[in-house]
Amino acid sequence: MGTFRYIARRLIFSACLILGVSIILFALINAIGNPVEILLAERPGITDEIIQQVTAYYGLDGSVTDRYFTWLWAILRLDFGTSIIYNQPVSEMLLAYGVETLKIQIPGILIALGMAVLVSTLAATRQYSRVDFGVISGAMLGHSLPGFFMGILLILVFSYWLGILPSYGAYSTRSMLMDSTVIDGLWHMVLPVGMLVIFNTATLTLLMRSSLVEVLRQDFITAARASGLPERRVVFGHALRNAFIPVLTYLGILFGLMLATAPVTETVFTWPGLGGLYIMAIQQLDYPVIMGETMVVTVMLVTATLLTDIAYVLIDPRIRLG
Amino acid sequence: MLSTLASASRPVAAAPEAPLVRVEDLRVHFFTRDGVVRAVDGMDYVVNKAETLGIVGESGSGKTVSSLAMLQLVPPPARTVGGRILFRGENLLERTPKAMASVRGKHIAMIFQNPATSLNPIYSIGAQLCEIVRWHEKVSRRQAEERATALLNLVGISDPAARLRQFPHELSGGMKQRVGIARALLCNPALVLADEPTTALDVTIQAQILDLLAELQARLHMSMVLVTHDMGVVARMADRITVMYAGRVCETASARTIFTAPRHPYTRALLESMPRVDHSYSGRARQPLPTIAGRPPNLLHPPAGCRFHDRCPEATAECRRVLPVETEVAPGHTVSCIRHGSQGVAA
Amino acid sequence: MDAPIAPAPAVVPEAGLARTERPPRPPGIWRQSWYRFRRNRAGMLGLCLVGFVVLVAALCPFIAPFDPNDQSAMLRGAARQGPTLTHLLGTDRNGYDVLSRVLYGASTALMVGIGAMMIASVIGVVIGGIAGYAGGLTDEFLMRFAEFFMVVPVFIVILAVVRLFGIVVVGTWLESVPNLSLMTIIVLLGLFEWAPIARMARAEFMRLKHAEFVEAATCIGSTRREILLRHILPNALPSLVVLVALGIGGAILAETMVSFLGFGDPKAVSWGQLLYFNYEALKVAPWASLAPGAAIFITVLGFNLLADGLTDAFNPRLRQ
Repeated sequence: MGTFRYIARRLIFSACLILGVSIILFALINAIGNPVEILLAERPGITDEIIQQVTAYYGLDGSVTDRYFTWLWAILRLDFGTSIIYNQPVSEMLLAYGVETLKIQIPGILIALGMAVLVSTLAATRQYSRVDFGVISGAMLGHSLPGFFMGILLILVFSYWLGILPSYGAYSTRSMLMDSTVIDGLWHMVLPVGMLVIFNTATLTLLMRSSLVEVLRQDFITAARASGLPERRVVFGHALRNAFIPVLTYLGILFGLMLATAPVTETVFTWPGLGGLYIMAIQQLDYPVIMGETMVVTVMLVTATLLTDIAYVLIDPRIRLG
Repeated sequence: MLSTLASASRPVAAAPEAPLVRVEDLRVHFFTRDGVVRAVDGMDYVVNKAETLGIVGESGSGKTVSSLAMLQLVPPPARTVGGRILFRGENLLERTPKAMASVRGKHIAMIFQNPATSLNPIYSIGAQLCEIVRWHEKVSRRQAEERATALLNLVGISDPAARLRQFPHELSGGMKQRVGIARALLCNPALVLADEPTTALDVTIQAQILDLLAELQARLHMSMVLVTHDMGVVARMADRITVMYAGRVCETASARTIFTAPRHPYTRALLESMPRVDHSYSGRARQPLPTIAGRPPNLLHPPAGCRFHDRCPEATAECRRVLPVETEVAPGHTVSCIRHGSQGVAA
Repeated sequence: MDAPIAPAPAVVPEAGLARTERPPRPPGIWRQSWYRFRRNRAGMLGLCLVGFVVLVAALCPFIAPFDPNDQSAMLRGAARQGPTLTHLLGTDRNGYDVLSRVLYGASTALMVGIGAMMIASVIGVVIGGIAGYAGGLTDEFLMRFAEFFMVVPVFIVILAVVRLFGIVVVGTWLESVPNLSLMTIIVLLGLFEWAPIARMARAEFMRLKHAEFVEAATCIGSTRREILLRHILPNALPSLVVLVALGIGGAILAETMVSFLGFGDPKAVSWGQLLYFNYEALKVAPWASLAPGAAIFITVLGFNLLADGLTDAFNPRLRQ
């Protein structure tokens, strides 16, 4: 049927997007000039000869197109080169830091999704009531509160004033005392995950409540009630699934941007993840890390968009393929 | 509670003495920010067993809301604020929401105006129909599917087994409305509320759907309330007709009486404003198509006295002060107009 | 008006007490929307918050107690001091008066938000408008182009470009441009945030080009320029205004985050800079982080509520 062709077409388009981003990224980096020159410019005692040697060492002396294809071919084999600053393979670093990032981002989205479904159902089925008003107000406030400001508030309250939760890092020396890295790790996750949950819940709730309110006034909901289905079936079986369709786009973006928004979260909580790594890489001009991580983030985003499109086809039979 | 409903299966008593539904002084008000809109404000009617009652009125006269009220489904900000709806002698308005759900679809079902929006777009026809059957009756999935297939067959859908797997957007408008009718009839209800069932359809399809409804009503011995603004539709379908204006009943009589001997000025004006084939509205000998002057009243501040007085050609000063009460002027013919034999109460 | 009874007093003028006077000309879409907006409490709150921020931005030289670059508290040993009568919101670790910096930050924030959205709107409306009006291959191509911008991880690209651009300009004439980093951030935000506007503009242009009044205008011989600028664009504006209001809040937030991470303009007086300089000292001088944070919150909340209110005002269908 058309489904397979549709997915194939989206796949090809996604590949083109990633290729496009890689070309632009490469061009941008090269337009700025020889990274070796820029890196070594601020140091004393560097002669042109040394610059040429280092340039040749990193394979930066060929033509631009040659270097692009070498780089592209390496990336396809998941070889992102070696970090200039840390002198480690970038792919290994991305993996190690990536695990830490996903550790707070994925619970941050999933918990928020569950809470948003609950809260928005509660509000939308009692439209214009006090509960509804409270939910909208709370969600609007949470949605407008910048993530990092929320993080600051959480740290002030729970770390400095109450002193019950750690404000930075993923592990501490306490883990030795507590005799469990698992509990210690979870302990450190509370605040960063909490911040993500508050923000994501607020935004998802706003979206889902208005979508649900819209669906609940549709004829087919009245028709389902008029057919004698109990309220629980009408709301959860008929309304929620329809209301979820517009939310899906945002959920896709949320998963796709997981890594892109990480720098802020991870700076606030000094979390050893990809976001923090990226900030350091930019500050210290660690080119292989910058390029590798940008490509990984782009692939994540494109994949999330692709999965969203496919999910649409599965959840909504009306989508015309083509 | 259930025992009263079960009494339906007993041998049918004489129809006039025991109507299936008796609506008394029904009031449904919309509580908007601008004030209370009295959409239905004291409405009475009865539906006898195995008959079709046509409820006619302009848009906004409260006819749709009154049928939703029967299912306790008036949408917020509207609320049913008064009256009784006696179904087989039991007041439905006293039922808890949960107890009401077991009446909907099983004893009283509804056919909606717009077939394009009244089916859930993301479930297959079969899933939607079977869910209803299985909710009301403890039957297996197979049995539910068989019932759904039989009903689709009954409403004239070809290849019903294949249709069960299709989604609403894959069917034409007329086909969807047939599915809507099948959905209403799944549990063999005693009463079907049809809310403008043909308004959203093409003219050629309208006739087919009306014929189908008439045939099914006769075949299944069910009662039907047909809500419409179209005099032509009720003329063709209804045994009795209730004419509504601004949330109140003007006149109720047999279809024949309404068309041959209407008494209420509004009914007469409605009938006169229907185009007729034996009149000419163009050319040299043309006559103007009569219309009713003015606009339907604002139900936020309904006029005092008779609701129709400011558009009524026969209105007197008294009509502004006195609220007419429905009075039987001939056997089976009630009118609420003080100029035509009704009583009234001072407003 | 589906009833067979249409009010036509001219035919039977004597009948009843028919109102024969014509109703006054209905107000236009903007005025109608304003009537609806005025009754939306959340929207009005948003308008007030935004108005407040604009007022502060306009009046900051008159109401700020200190010069934003006055570090004299440092010399008096009064840096990192809690709120006092002289420094109502305390001083930060560089000796700046926090209140003054927060007040001056309002104009920077508005400049970023409005500047970035102006760039984004122009690009978005032109590209989306052409795509929607022309249709066909042009549409396909332009929308794929827009989609490309939707998948670029904007935020981290901006971080990288701001940093690298800062290196490149060293030694060129660009270096002497005041607030260069801030300009760069504004331009980048504008360049990367036009895609949603283009999508909306395309949808609206597509819907409106088949509207009856546009066909009527074509029939009486209006030029294409007239049709686009006088008939289609004004009717597409309501939906676009909502997006722009949201976008201003978003751009302000983005600039703050860029600055917070240390890639902002060190010379600009912005809320993000204030946070960047003082976040390390959160434990000892929380007021210096809380004040700019609250300012960002109020501004973003204002624009979000405003956009919400505008959506409701322009879509009466959703009204109660």
